[in-house]
Amino acid sequence: MACNSSSGCQSGGCYKNEEDSLRDQTPTPTATGTGGGGGGGVCIKCKTNPPISTTSTSSSPLDADNSRFCFDCFRSNLYGKFRLAVTSHAMISPSDNVLLAVSGGPASRVTLQFVHEMQVRAQKNLDASREKALPVFGVGVAFVEESCVSSVSSDQVDRAVEEMRVITSNLSPPMKQFHVVPIQNVYASDPPEDAKDRFRKLLDAVTDATGKEDLLLHMRMLALQKVASENGYSRLVLGSCTSRIACHVIAATVKGQGYSLSADIQYVDSRWQVPVVLPLRDCTEQELNLLCRLDGLVLNGTLLSSWQGSLKTPQLCMNPTSGINGLVSSFVTLLKEENPSRECTIVRTAGKLTPFHFNRVPETNDCNGSSATLRRLKKYNLNTKESLSSELFCPICNSPLQSSDFLGSPKITKSVSFDAACCSSCRFQILPKDPSSLELFSLLLPQQVVGRAKNDSCGNLNLLRERIQDCLLSDSEDET
Amino acid sequence: MKLTIEFGGGLELLCDSVKIHKVNVELKNGEKKLTMKDLLAWVGSNLIKERPEMFMKGDSVRPGVLVLVNDCDWELSGQLDTTLEDEDVVVFISTLHGG
Amino acid sequence: MENGDTKPRRAGGRLCCLCNNRRAALKRPKTLEQICRECFYEVFEEEIHQVIVDNQLFKPGERIGIGASGGKDSTVLAYVLSELNRRHNYGLDLFLLSVDEGITGYRDDSLETVKRNEVQYGLPLKIVSYKDLYGWTMDEIVKMIGLKNNCTFCGVFRRQALDRGAALLKVDKLVTGHNADDIAETVLLNILRGDVARYELLLEIEQMYCNYNRRRRANSEMQTFQNLNLICTYAYFKRLDYFSTECIYSPNAYRGFAREFIKDLERMRPRAILDIIKSGEDFRIATTTKMPEQGNCARCGYISSQKWCKACVLLEGLNRGLPKIGIGRSRGIDNDHQKEMKRSNGSKNIESKQCGTLDF
Repeated sequence: MACNSSSGCQSGGCYKNEEDSLRDQTPTPTATGTGGGGGGGVCIKCKTNPPISTTSTSSSPLDADNSRFCFDCFRSNLYGKFRLAVTSHAMISPSDNVLLAVSGGPASRVTLQFVHEMQVRAQKNLDASREKALPVFGVGVAFVEESCVSSVSSDQVDRAVEEMRVITSNLSPPMKQFHVVPIQNVYASDPPEDAKDRFRKLLDAVTDATGKEDLLLHMRMLALQKVASENGYSRLVLGSCTSRIACHVIAATVKGQGYSLSADIQYVDSRWQVPVVLPLRDCTEQELNLLCRLDGLVLNGTLLSSWQGSLKTPQLCMNPTSGINGLVSSFVTLLKEENPSRECTIVRTAGKLTPFHFNRVPETNDCNGSSATLRRLKKYNLNTKESLSSELFCPICNSPLQSSDFLGSPKITKSVSFDAACCSSCRFQILPKDPSSLELFSLLLPQQVVGRAKNDSCGNLNLLRERIQDCLLSDSEDET
Repeated sequence: MKLTIEFGGGLELLCDSVKIHKVNVELKNGEKKLTMKDLLAWVGSNLIKERPEMFMKGDSVRPGVLVLVNDCDWELSGQLDTTLEDEDVVVFISTLHGG
Repeated sequence: MENGDTKPRRAGGRLCCLCNNRRAALKRPKTLEQICRECFYEVFEEEIHQVIVDNQLFKPGERIGIGASGGKDSTVLAYVLSELNRRHNYGLDLFLLSVDEGITGYRDDSLETVKRNEVQYGLPLKIVSYKDLYGWTMDEIVKMIGLKNNCTFCGVFRRQALDRGAALLKVDKLVTGHNADDIAETVLLNILRGDVARYELLLEIEQMYCNYNRRRRANSEMQTFQNLNLICTYAYFKRLDYFSTECIYSPNAYRGFAREFIKDLERMRPRAILDIIKSGEDFRIATTTKMPEQGNCARCGYISSQKWCKACVLLEGLNRGLPKIGIGRSRGIDNDHQKEMKRSNGSKNIESKQCGTLDF
């Protein structure tokens, strides 16, 4: 689509071949050229209905490519991308119970809508077949409530939560459970007020603005993981779209996280207790916004208005406002204005990096149809045989650590200090520098995080040595 | 207040290719001291002849322009809040040009 | 109170962290230490010395060509290298090597700077020109092909011109002055245009300085590249004579964005530039992207992984009046060989990278 016109996509189109085959009626470049010029005429796909550009006056220039489709074709294209992502990466199987993280923004709203539609179809199939062999996957919705660290009034939060609850309950049957997850839930045992206080102190202890934002992000994930595993969910669905992921690619590069970057941007990320999936990875922000507008999907008005301009934004992949993240996001916006397909080029570039062994759905999960799954996974070049399942992770951001991180911190062989177990990026932007505040800081962290650090550094020293050995070996192999 | 202002690294092209400017900056009414912030505004309107965006961004210099006050990086003296004194030498060097 | 604010600066401000004696003049981006001018020279020069020693870049008695554009990086490099050669008895024969692309109003001026450097540092200078080597100046090429892709021509030709100049001077190695900002910018630009694998190769070539002696990167690489601000500060403090104007044919909006972005980042977090380079080094790139095999161009004999080297392909296009030949990817030409072609194209393009003027 957007890529036909651009210089940014030199090596291959923006979309993978598999997607093209799904959207088999994807317009050829010539069709795009002729269809787009006039503005009038018909949808370039179905050639019958009027395109969006004539039915809607409000589409921005960035929507130029999408608006050459009629609404139905545009919508089915978008749904197709979502569905392809879900099916080809085995994100959701019939026995799954998925938890959807919603923020009130367009991306998670579309995810909710699409997951719902998929669920409805599965239900219909089930009803039609009358064989109870394949159950219909369950869906739950979670909203992380961060009033303890945001400037939004509790009144507004209550209203926002209520709106979200209504949106969720309107999308039934099938019924979807709605969870409100206060961010301070990361502290399991503390009483609510203490937890709030402790969480505030934790964030306050981080001096770097970017580090603060990132820590909140990690804690949000922790809270979501907690609610997901406590309620028996088997997947966590996030609405991260291409635009968000593009920002993450640049931001991670800037923060020196080049090694772990490829872990964060795949469709599936099962390094967490409850595997995380990103079905909107191929949809751009503009497409999602356009769909919300045309489809009349109700966004959470309270949230959108109340969070605008305040530091804390609701999305799981938050829309950053300050620090490095803010700079990156305005940089990407600038690039997008110059060339709308740039963000998908960025994600495609990062997609060429080698993913980790955990960037696929764990095999133990579902034996049925696993051969088909495997076949599909192979198509995506994900090496299921990769046996290096013994990655070490940063206790704070859960990024896989690389051996140079350890080599750089000689402490690890002697004492097990908390900072030695963290990645260099977290060490720099999140952890306090002097030992006494570091001590204090680690006391403020959720038990789970501290535990992660202990496990990693005590139990895995041998593993660590092995890995270093491995690296040295593979290094010398490379030397030709 | 008498100051020496020097442009380098290509910035001199913005002010008729003159590198060194001996200038006399009048303090604003009621002001007792001159800060870099004041000086930048003054330079922007008095010395820079073309493409001011190559020099300024907002009320500071564009990122990529080094500022030395008496041969000392202005980061050490408080950047925009650096107070200037008579006979000070202020140098602006662009790092963006050329390889 | 006001007095209190200004006094410390007058009275010498904070003292240098290293010598504790002189007034600090700048902050090291790497350590945020405040250091004085003299210690800065020392640290700056010794860092480069350390890189040279750690990587065993030179052997006594070698003839070394310094790629000199007249710009700040190469000027600083030439100065520091001749200093270090004297100080540490490297025993090297140093030469300046410049390429005249034939760009009126840009290169002719900068070459004047190099000619002054020749006198100032007492280093013999050799200038090779596109006109002599290829029969075309960049001015003529731009007249023919316009401002799109012109950097591809320039980059490919320059890389080769440097090598040919090196052969003429009979130097053993060629040194170029790439700085940390250039490298960080390259990492970002590669991400923006969809290419990660290029980066590793790029590093090899740019860092190893030497076409005939490619070696694996050493661990100490982070220190290899001096921060651009430091280079400018060094050049200013030392009153080095350098030329600073952007190439008049340099295009590409997003390149400008990237440069500005890096500068904004640096202001917010000085170590970001080094972090970007670290990221670029750490990217998990599939091991299948091997270094292309080296052969020689069937036409001009220059090293090449294809039958004809990129310069010859481009030149052929120019001479036949079909300048599009050899530009961009091979998509659509031959599907079977597409992958192979793409890879080799990538590597070719890397060879063309010079002094921050990435072709696109």
